[in-house]
Amino acid sequence: MSSLQNNTSPEELHPSLWRASQLARSSTRCVDTGHPTLSKQLPGGGWPTGTLVDLLLQQPGIGEMRLLRPALVAAASRRIVLLQPPHPPQALALAALGLPPSQLVWLRATRTNDALWAAEQVLRSGSCGALLFWANHVRGESLRRLHLAAQCGETLFFMMRPLAAAQDSSPAPLRLSLRPAAGGLDVGFVKRRGPQRDAPLFLPLTPTLLQRHALVDRPAPAPATARGLQPELVQ
Amino acid sequence: MLEQERVLAVSPQARAAGVAPGMRRGGVLMLMPDARLHVRSPEREAEAMNTAALALLQYTPLVTIAEESTLLIDIGASLRLFGGIRALCRRVRASLRALGYSGVLSCAPTARGAWMLARRRAGRAMRIESLTRRLDSLPASLPPPARSFAAWFEGIGCFSLGAMRRLPRPGLQRRCGRALLDMLDAAYGMAPELFEWVEAPTSFHAKIELFDRLENAEECLMGAERLVQQLTGWLCAHQLAVERITLLLEHERGRVARPPTPVDIALAEATWRDEHLVRLLRERLATLTLEAPVIALVLDASQVQPMAPPNESLFPEPGGSEEDRLRMFELLIARLGPENVLQALPQADYRPEVANSWVPVQQKVREMVRSAQMPPDVESLARPTWILAKPIALLMRNHRPFYGSPLKMASAAERIEAGWWSRTQTRDYFVAEGQDHTLYWVYRERIVGSGEEEAPRWFLHGLFG
Repeated sequence: MSSLQNNTSPEELHPSLWRASQLARSSTRCVDTGHPTLSKQLPGGGWPTGTLVDLLLQQPGIGEMRLLRPALVAAASRRIVLLQPPHPPQALALAALGLPPSQLVWLRATRTNDALWAAEQVLRSGSCGALLFWANHVRGESLRRLHLAAQCGETLFFMMRPLAAAQDSSPAPLRLSLRPAAGGLDVGFVKRRGPQRDAPLFLPLTPTLLQRHALVDRPAPAPATARGLQPELVQ
Repeated sequence: MLEQERVLAVSPQARAAGVAPGMRRGGVLMLMPDARLHVRSPEREAEAMNTAALALLQYTPLVTIAEESTLLIDIGASLRLFGGIRALCRRVRASLRALGYSGVLSCAPTARGAWMLARRRAGRAMRIESLTRRLDSLPASLPPPARSFAAWFEGIGCFSLGAMRRLPRPGLQRRCGRALLDMLDAAYGMAPELFEWVEAPTSFHAKIELFDRLENAEECLMGAERLVQQLTGWLCAHQLAVERITLLLEHERGRVARPPTPVDIALAEATWRDEHLVRLLRERLATLTLEAPVIALVLDASQVQPMAPPNESLFPEPGGSEEDRLRMFELLIARLGPENVLQALPQADYRPEVANSWVPVQQKVREMVRSAQMPPDVESLARPTWILAKPIALLMRNHRPFYGSPLKMASAAERIEAGWWSRTQTRDYFVAEGQDHTLYWVYRERIVGSGEEEAPRWFLHGLFG
């Protein structure tokens, strides 16, 4: 009997046990990220549903929507709620990402309390596919409350917060930091159920937004004045 | 509560202070100087009975008002719908509490029997045998026709209904009249009972006068809940669902008469349940600021339609039903305002600001209209995910736009020239890349002034999410 116990590894004893060197198994359903290298690094192999996922952005507009694109497209059979985005969202661009405009809902809130309340209502109703919530300063207890509300349903819930928020504690089981990089994004793992990883993961993001003929037309992008070009103007 | 200058009913606080029924006004004021004395008003009692009857119509169409402030309802057909007698009693009690009343509930196989049990707080009797047993032990003075003969009954040693029933019927009828025998027979289930059921009015308009002047809109919610309870009863009685309700807050008439403040609630999906209406009212009242104190509330059901029971699917969908989503939107609109809950309705226009149009989610948009406005090949358009509400003028360094770092153009120009009929735009849009590899959407104004302003002006207009 004792030898049997010695042979069993902890992860076989209980699903919520894992070694520090391994990735945990996810208890909730996960949605594939669409980026195989990233999926391999996440517990459960994808974005967990019904959980608070913290994304810490250096600044808005660095490719966060392109990163989430495959998951959002999978969730687009139901509504996708954008709560308090930093700038007005452009429906055509989101349509180019594969999110039909009919499924988009843009919520604006004037006060933080209203935004938190709206997030909770959306999560509790569970009738939306994904909720993306941009917030700058959120207190710990509000985060915990949102995390609990997220567990009621199977909504994909991402919170977009500034990089400085990485210093504060958060109840989110998965926290990633995103920084722009040449041709993609650097994903840093602030917190995950698995081994600590210090080196950021580079994810190439296909710049589908760039024009296909960009390279051909390259030589004359800047206004060419007749008075001679400075060397750094020539690209 | 006073009737003919005698105390009739007292609150628990007054009882603790020593006030007892039967005292005079002076005595009460001596014991409790700050006591609130109300004179019993039969009109308001009748109004309260009507209110409660209307609210109880949601459980059964058979409601009648009986003597001595009692309501009789026939729940024989409603038991299964509401999940049994206990669940139904709980709901009835909760409805009464929401109206602000308290009551004693009894059930019995006969209406008169239930009336007698309720008058003596004798609980529930489910079968005719147990009802007979319980009724037998009730005092003989309970039926109203027997009260004038109470002394005679006491004199012959007849203290309970059971003893009264054993008296010879012809003699009892000669002495006390037919009414007493009829009532006993009805209570014991030996004679059929006939009632005139309460008929709900054809249109709904309910009003309550508040006891106090309310300064805060949120305090009105309690009163509004009472009105919604009545509305629910009325809707169930007529098999209707409500599409739009209006709550009018009537103000105190000061030096100038103020028109009542309306709180209008339009529903995407007609409903006849009270929880959702109360939640919507709560959010709306929370955002309302009152100009003057409120003294009365009026609820109007302005738009109704026939009730359509929902289609229950065999396997519930994980994402909740369409009604759930509409209900969520209504709740969000109630708090955030309709201008802050938006859906996308892109317009076929070359100017990016005009093309990116968002409309309130309540607005019905047909899918065909929306898709007709979409460009045929949406993926070929380089459009940023975030578009700045107002373009930012960029600094120029070394003849190059600068935003945090010098920007390098990463795409060819996309020329947008449109809108001569309203707001002209002649711009060349570029995708630019900063030194930290962030992509920006910038444009250059093509029409520039002469002289000093000849240099091209650059603006930042979007961010690629």
